[in-house]
Amino acid sequence: MSRHTIAAAAAEDAARAEAESEVAPASDGYGLVPVRTLIEPNPVAWFALTPGDRILVAPGDLVSPGTVLAEHQRDPRLEDGPPLRGATGTGQPLRPGDWWSGDGHESAGPLRRRQPRTAAGELLHPAGSRWRMAAGGDHVDVVETPAQGTVRTVAAGRGIEVELAGRALVGAFAAGLPTSGRLQRIAGEAGLRGALDVGRAGAILVVEGRIDSEGIIRARAMGVRGVVVSGLAGKDLRDLLGSEARQRASLQSPAPFAVLVLDGAIRRPLARPMAALAAALDGQQVALLVDPPMLVFDPPEGAWPSPPPGWVRIRGGGLAGVEGRWLRGLGLRRFSAGTHLEAAAVALEDGEVVVVPIADLERFS
Amino acid sequence: MTSDHRATFALDLGAATTSAALIAVVDGRRRLLASTSMPAGIDPDDLLGHLLARLGTADPDLAALLGIGPTGGPIALAGAIATWPRLVARSSPPPELVVLATTAREQHAVARLAGLAGWRTAGGSLEVDGAIELTRLGLSRTCAAIAVAAREPGSREETARLTELTALAGGIVERAPGVPMLLVGGAARALGGLPVGENGEGPLLAPGPDAGDPPGEPLRRLLLRLDPASKAARRAMVATTIDLAIALDRRIELVEIGFDGGLRAVVGPGGVEALPAFLPEAALVPTDLDEIVIDEVLAWSTLALDRHRMGDRLRELRLWPWVDAHGEGALLRLAAARAALERLVRATPELSALPAPDVIVVAGGAWSAAPGPAIALALADLVRRPGASQLAFDHARLLGPLGTIEDADARLALVGELADDLLTPLGTVIMPQGMRPGRSAGQLVVRSSAGETELELAAGDLRLVDLPPGQLAMAELHFRDPVQLGTRVRQVRIEVAGGLGGLLIDTRDIPLRLPERAEPRRALLHSWQAAFWAGLDG
Repeated sequence: MSRHTIAAAAAEDAARAEAESEVAPASDGYGLVPVRTLIEPNPVAWFALTPGDRILVAPGDLVSPGTVLAEHQRDPRLEDGPPLRGATGTGQPLRPGDWWSGDGHESAGPLRRRQPRTAAGELLHPAGSRWRMAAGGDHVDVVETPAQGTVRTVAAGRGIEVELAGRALVGAFAAGLPTSGRLQRIAGEAGLRGALDVGRAGAILVVEGRIDSEGIIRARAMGVRGVVVSGLAGKDLRDLLGSEARQRASLQSPAPFAVLVLDGAIRRPLARPMAALAAALDGQQVALLVDPPMLVFDPPEGAWPSPPPGWVRIRGGGLAGVEGRWLRGLGLRRFSAGTHLEAAAVALEDGEVVVVPIADLERFS
Repeated sequence: MTSDHRATFALDLGAATTSAALIAVVDGRRRLLASTSMPAGIDPDDLLGHLLARLGTADPDLAALLGIGPTGGPIALAGAIATWPRLVARSSPPPELVVLATTAREQHAVARLAGLAGWRTAGGSLEVDGAIELTRLGLSRTCAAIAVAAREPGSREETARLTELTALAGGIVERAPGVPMLLVGGAARALGGLPVGENGEGPLLAPGPDAGDPPGEPLRRLLLRLDPASKAARRAMVATTIDLAIALDRRIELVEIGFDGGLRAVVGPGGVEALPAFLPEAALVPTDLDEIVIDEVLAWSTLALDRHRMGDRLRELRLWPWVDAHGEGALLRLAAARAALERLVRATPELSALPAPDVIVVAGGAWSAAPGPAIALALADLVRRPGASQLAFDHARLLGPLGTIEDADARLALVGELADDLLTPLGTVIMPQGMRPGRSAGQLVVRSSAGETELELAAGDLRLVDLPPGQLAMAELHFRDPVQLGTRVRQVRIEVAGGLGGLLIDTRDIPLRLPERAEPRRALLHSWQAAFWAGLDG
């Protein structure tokens, strides 16, 4: 759909709509525009665990940035654990998922022959007269929370759920590990590559311009803790995941690093309300979470940046990423490839009026 | 819903789009008056308000008859939205079944059957993955049920594996109470020491994937019953299609492609002829978008995209499925829908082996942006059996909501009344098999009230005869040599019905063979599609 074609098709309606410059959000189809929540209150994050990981928190615990939630075993191994009966010495039975701290205390007294020492690990299931368990390997990584919050649930071998303080900007997908840092904006078409220097170490960069996997990998090597982008192509994501996996496999684990993608796999400008939010948060400590994908922050001081009434963004088609003001619904219209879709007139910032399928629009709340 | 309601809304709350329709009594009979669909997530009341406003604009008299005319104003509209009864069908994401098995063979056999019963599957085997990985899978946050599968142990090693697997599964169940467990085949015999869940229910015992006739059917039936989404829209569609088969006294094949899966069923007035297949793998864009899926879509695409760009477009389609339904987006959507239909047909050879149905009904949000004739072509490309079938489209997405009516008699009565409204006729396809390549393989004469059309038939061809919706015609086919057309014939007369796509005479191969190389394949697909898609290049 070219800008020229749709502008021509819309000429008559648009002129009429332009005359009614006041937006009427509640009427004539505005309610049919899909809503995208800009800021989520009370975000809840999930930190996935695998069998063998040792949990260090309990439900109700208050956690702050840097609190270690669990120890993650890189290569857990299957081992025989304590005997099914009498291992704790308290009469309290062991259950699957319990953490066994090991070291052979299951022998009941000095006159008995000492049982073979057992390693520490997570009990999986009974096998004969003993427990089978996932014992720790040679490498342990820590699972930290990047933001303040309260532990809601803890499930051995599954994960830890933490209700975070602050607000969240939810994205489309994320890669990497939860992390935190000072938010810094990188505006302009030059994008990430042109803006990298050692002064960015420890920062979470919101990139509004060009980005690719090489730039992101270089940013991580320079100590950047995270990157927020509007779109990231599948090839770049795959390259990044491969590089991340190689880094994580090294003896000394690097600092956690994450990429948050706000829109999808196709490059678009950062949505204006999101860019305004990033500007308001510039220099503030924020956290990047991957499950769900989100940027967590404390509410900025003063007025919240919020889009003006009737502000819409075009998500798809030739005008993807362009924003403007809702004028009015136009009913069914014919678009390219002979498809008939519910349409609306939208006034762009340069004054041009375009006709767009309502399903291609989004509005922010 | 009862017959004394003057008007009823039907809502299909899909995973990608919400569809709304208005059914009301007109001239003493319930009719479909209007329908529309918009992205999922918007308030259904807003959509219903929009639907009524459109009806009021298009036919003020009819709106006035229903009490929502201009004199009533917004209050009358709000009152109608608040008080008129609704039939609501909801789609839900397919639940995940984790298959834990002693061997990879058992795992894949159970996963295949579960995939046909509406389950998304994950899993592993002791043979390949080990106990820690199996425990991780069983404890997964997305796991809705666990199947523990093993063959009847034939050796000491197999017995030991089975013992370990049941102990492992017992450990998982103890940590995740409430997750139902199914013991399949040899595992069912090792029930002994397995703990009973907190709700007091023990594990379900199931026959192995090779048991029954046809093999695997008893296990598939059990998995269908176990599906927590058993009241979802896709199940309701089967009930409506059976009613439709009774009302029309026809054999009907239903193929549906949606955001979270696909459905294929063949039904007659007596009920389903074989177990319906509910296949998450046949989603428009499957959750696990891999290179295979990308290649499948590329194989049906008329767009010249490389694999990376196609992958990105499909990821976008998965994330925002309602966006970009025009221009190239419409072509991409149709290619993805064809690839999904191909997966559905490939997974259900037992349904393909049944005789050609009288009517093939296509349904699902995946087709909503494509023109009717292009949908007819997509069906002819992929659902290929020798014979003749009418093609129809569930354009208002009523099959799901109607199927939610629990009173079977009331549902049948309503489906009977709406039978002429709820499907858009796409046309008729005649598909002979076994024609010999040559200059002329026979002749076709189509006689209708509009006149007579004659065509020469040649093998490997796709011919279109204009036959508008509602028109009946008699097609006489004379072949040089006997061909397969349900039965082996040389001359045959078939009554055909018109539709948006008209009458398709499809003498291409069964199954369809396309050029291996991308360029000529794209050109061929485009040449076929261009004949069925008005305004394709505009």
